[in-house]
Amino acid sequence: MGMGEVWRVAISDSFNKFLGKVLTFLPNLLAMITILIIGFLIAWIVKKIIFRFLKAIQFDKVTERWGVAEVLSKGGMTYSPASLLSRFFYWVIVLITLIMGINALDVPATQNLIAQFFNYLPHLFAAILILIVGYLIAIFLGQAALIAAVNAQMESARLLGRCVRWFIVILSLTMALYHLGIAEKVILAAFTITFGGIVLALALALGWGGRELAKDFLERLYRRKEKEEKGQDHISHI
Amino acid sequence: MEIQLKEIKEADILIGIPSYNNARTIGHVVRAVMAGLAKYFPKAKAVLANSDGGSTDGTQEEVKRVQIEDFKTILTSHPVHPLSKIVTPYHGIPGKGSAFRTIFEAAHLLNAKACAVIDSDLRSIAPEWVELLLRPVYEGGFDYVAPLYARHKFDGTITNSIVYPLTRALYGKRVRQPIGGDFGFSGELAKFYLTKDVWETDVARFGIDIWMTTLAIAEGYKVCQSYLGAKIHDAKDPGSDLGPMFTQVVSSVSTLMGEYEPLWKRVKESEPVPTFGFHYEVGLEPVSVNVEHMIGNFRLGAKNLMEIWRKVILPETAPRLESLSRLSDEAFSFPEDLWVRIVYDFATAFHQGSVHREHLLKSMIPLYLGRVASFVKENQESPAREVEARIESLCKVFEEMKSYLMERWEKGK
Repeated sequence: MGMGEVWRVAISDSFNKFLGKVLTFLPNLLAMITILIIGFLIAWIVKKIIFRFLKAIQFDKVTERWGVAEVLSKGGMTYSPASLLSRFFYWVIVLITLIMGINALDVPATQNLIAQFFNYLPHLFAAILILIVGYLIAIFLGQAALIAAVNAQMESARLLGRCVRWFIVILSLTMALYHLGIAEKVILAAFTITFGGIVLALALALGWGGRELAKDFLERLYRRKEKEEKGQDHISHI
Repeated sequence: MEIQLKEIKEADILIGIPSYNNARTIGHVVRAVMAGLAKYFPKAKAVLANSDGGSTDGTQEEVKRVQIEDFKTILTSHPVHPLSKIVTPYHGIPGKGSAFRTIFEAAHLLNAKACAVIDSDLRSIAPEWVELLLRPVYEGGFDYVAPLYARHKFDGTITNSIVYPLTRALYGKRVRQPIGGDFGFSGELAKFYLTKDVWETDVARFGIDIWMTTLAIAEGYKVCQSYLGAKIHDAKDPGSDLGPMFTQVVSSVSTLMGEYEPLWKRVKESEPVPTFGFHYEVGLEPVSVNVEHMIGNFRLGAKNLMEIWRKVILPETAPRLESLSRLSDEAFSFPEDLWVRIVYDFATAFHQGSVHREHLLKSMIPLYLGRVASFVKENQESPAREVEARIESLCKVFEEMKSYLMERWEKGK
């Protein structure tokens, strides 16, 4: 075999190998493109269906009642809650589609990464859900506490309302981070220390630093109660 | 209860007494009812039904025990039919409305012609009340008899500042005490009430009175009122605070507004309803009102709840409330038109559901107390007749501003 023949065989083998690899990869590529097209289409349809469903059940009104719409507009969000939620689902499906598309390419380097991502995904969703539900509960209970405190004639009504709101926000944040597995022990310790610290600070303030203030406060409260009892209403509202 | 009712088979008259730990007063109420039935309806077959919420103070035993020993002392002879008494616990949500439901069921089973419900904490009830509540139904062809009492000028503040003016402006009938507590009604109307599925709502509690009155008016039943004299009841139950009372009544009124929207939109003016009974002046027990306390509550509301109020009221109303909260106790005055505007705004917001309904109604309490404080201040020295004229003037403002309500209601859709 002459030099030219060896050269020709080497070239043709190399080309055949490349062609073989391309031919093996091509169906994967086509599969990825198909997955992407179908995925985007499904995402778009799901977005439309969810949006219409949310409009039908007057989701925007419900969220307005819960104060979510107000929070969104304060944050500069121009989308309505129904539009926002439908877009969220759109992007979730798009993300899943992209991952499935990449997975279809069958490149070993990405396989492991994708597997890890999918394992983590439920935790991520759960954490987001905890945050959303926690925030809604915080707004609702904060407002309930504020109104109840005003009707009970408590001067520090606003403070109480805020305390309730922030307590639930921090609690849900801690739960979400704990669920994500981010520095679990640190988060738990930080939470315990923060609330323990608040209680201790209050105890110290009442017992030492603010004892005069606490005394004044309790005295005023007692006098007011006494006054109230003396000047109680006897009207029948109904 | 059903077994007892089946034994009785049927009755001409049914008197229902809802109760919960009223052993101190229920004996007097039962005696007055027995005397009234013997005196004014001696030939009628009557049943007294006590619908009790699980009293632990011997209320039920007291109802069973009470008898009129000598009918001659009340200048009457023994009735032809002895009075049948039923003492039964009611089921469902604890509240006056659930107790009434049991009474409606008894009326239905007994096929009663005329019925009445009477509060068990009354100290001023006389046998004449039985006649005044029943006669218009029993013989006069009416379906619903609302009470008309002589009350202290500062009593019944939810009635005077919200329920009466609003019901009158909405449905066009001047029923002065739409949530009075003691009513007469026909058996037919009792059957109609039973067809409604409202027993898991505020109607099962304090909302029952306005629900009964509104349905009677709105469904075209013949409505009248009877003058009963003074209404004096047992010392206020410490558990019955303003909060639940206010929210349950206003919630019922607002829910009914949604149901009867086409009707109230058609009503342009109000008319008096036939009134029975002999009017006379009565001496009423003095009532103490802590105006400073109420104004303080309003100020606290203005300071902390303005954010919620702003979601309900028009932008131009908020500065008026803010400046009102800055006034001294002496200068404090809550104008009528501002109050009417607020009532209509809150009713519209309740219908729209833009604020959580319980929060909405509870956040209205400081505004209500502000208006009551202003009313008490303005009428401190006025005689009862003048105070009544002021309530009349408030009603007119409610009627005049109905276009404002309709405008807000439409915009909220």
